[in-house]
Amino acid sequence: MKPDAVELLRSMMLIRAFEAALMSRPDHGFQLLSAGEEAVAVGLCAALTADDQLLCSGRSIGPALARGLDPNLVMAELLGKSAGPCRGKAGRGHLSQPAAGFLGAHAVVGGNLSIAAGAALAMKLQRRPGIVACIFGDGACGAGALHETLNIAALWQLPLLLVCDNNQISVSTPRSEALAPQRLSDLAQPFGIPGATVDGMDVLAVRDAAQRFADRARSGSGPALLECVSWRFATHSTSTRDTRPAGEIEAIKARCPIKRLTAELEATGHLGRHACEQLQRDVDAAAAAALRFADAAPYPDVSEVLTDVY
Amino acid sequence: MFFREAIARALREEMQHDERVLLLGQDVGSFGGSYKELVGLHRQFGSERVRNTPVAEAAMIGVGVGAAIAGLRPVVSITYMDFLMLGLDPLVNYAAKVRYKTAGQLHAPLVVKTTAGAKRQGVAHSQCIEAWLMGVPGLKVVAAGTPADAYGLLKAALREEGPVVFVDHKRLFPTAGDVPTGEHYTPIGRAAVRRRGSDVTIATHSYMTLIAVEAATRLAAEGISCEVVDLRSLLPLDLATVCDSAARTRALLTLEEGQPACGVGAELAFRAREQLDGLRIARVGALPAPVSSNPVLEAACIPDVERVMHAVRHLLIP
Repeated sequence: MKPDAVELLRSMMLIRAFEAALMSRPDHGFQLLSAGEEAVAVGLCAALTADDQLLCSGRSIGPALARGLDPNLVMAELLGKSAGPCRGKAGRGHLSQPAAGFLGAHAVVGGNLSIAAGAALAMKLQRRPGIVACIFGDGACGAGALHETLNIAALWQLPLLLVCDNNQISVSTPRSEALAPQRLSDLAQPFGIPGATVDGMDVLAVRDAAQRFADRARSGSGPALLECVSWRFATHSTSTRDTRPAGEIEAIKARCPIKRLTAELEATGHLGRHACEQLQRDVDAAAAAALRFADAAPYPDVSEVLTDVY
Repeated sequence: MFFREAIARALREEMQHDERVLLLGQDVGSFGGSYKELVGLHRQFGSERVRNTPVAEAAMIGVGVGAAIAGLRPVVSITYMDFLMLGLDPLVNYAAKVRYKTAGQLHAPLVVKTTAGAKRQGVAHSQCIEAWLMGVPGLKVVAAGTPADAYGLLKAALREEGPVVFVDHKRLFPTAGDVPTGEHYTPIGRAAVRRRGSDVTIATHSYMTLIAVEAATRLAAEGISCEVVDLRSLLPLDLATVCDSAARTRALLTLEEGQPACGVGAELAFRAREQLDGLRIARVGALPAPVSSNPVLEAACIPDVERVMHAVRHLLIP
């Protein structure tokens, strides 16, 4: 049963509320927030099944929650608590829970692309039903890793869905200064891989495109590249200053994917004002509960500095 | 059996035992590897499990790591160790850390097989950079000096839970030696004494083991008795075997083909000195210059028997 549009809305709202709760804490640590880009991960994950695996960049909070990880465990991991799926060792940059279909984050830009291709190769050779999806930023598109991976994925017809969350800026460098191609999905073309560019602020458009490519990969027809044009609300990271003018940020926030879907659902009568308020209360409560859970969990024992090295 | 045949035998047996083992790399297919060390594997196992790849070392190690965390046991062949530099990101930033960062949810049983050493191929096809890897927690690094160890270490590497870099050497492929007909595994982390002696311990690895043994043979004619320890495993280092020997000889010479600065010998000698007060130490490695394809300059750069003999004599001056 695919999540319906209200479920997609709830998932995006949960990510937003979760990050707001995290940022309310002075000890939030070094984070890369997904605010503004929720529709990319949520739309993609709506097209994935339990057999699939998702990898992402270090901007992992949205993808992890969209994939269905328990917000309590995610919050514990982000705050370095041993109740996290990686016992607090991974943090935001390397969060993972493979048993939940989340091979997870890797905080080297472009570093997760060939890893994802390898996981897809294993799925194909072991004739497992799943596919592998990998979210990466526009920053990775200038690196050789993407082009090497596209070539191999095409040659070997891997069940791989590459999803570029193109938030159009790498820390402070706008894509116009970093990337020559006008449409990043065109990068797939020379390899004979289908590509598409969609509005990354429109979760339904992301979901529909991802579904089409996921079905294709699942049926053995090989990889695809989906570019989702998105907008980052916050700074690159919690330790980076924002160089964008305030007016520009306000204009970006007006494109909010949550507001957009809410308005559509209200206009079509699928969501009433009361139900919308209830959704907000639900996700706020989940975020607050996640913080309480993380607070109650212990830090790892200092002896764990040497465990699981080999 | 030739060294190159020992490699093919180890891979053949492990591929027969375990269908998760696959081989990825440039020219690994019907060509049989750049040094014929993979001959017959493609014919026996087919192109699904013995895969030629594009010239893309970074992606190939990345694909190997990704396949490893997802349930396979890949061997990625990097033709020259110089090109391992292109693939260090997935090896060091991902494979070596994945078990730690996932708190054991994932592990990467990957073998990277690569060929080091000088043989007239120039500044970017000759390097021995295994010491670079010795400071990477999560990696294991082995370097065989005999056909038996090439066989046994490669088989052991394929039974590991985490990533192993298996370093062979251009000048070793055509060397011959006994390999037991029965299946065996050379334990990783255990050195081997190649020659017994009482005046000085020479600790070395890979092709330089042959140089050390020859130097020891010639020094014996001068009345100097050398014990030669073949490290076999660089990470972890078998400090116990080296120190057992050096505790008797009271003198340790380290010998490597790569750069001695921050090298295998620097690490080994420091750690041996921590355990053995008053131990006399010296190291021999390449000169601080790139390794040219020019025959005169290559020979001048890398250690040879004469330099080892000279260093031993110098170390033993009271």
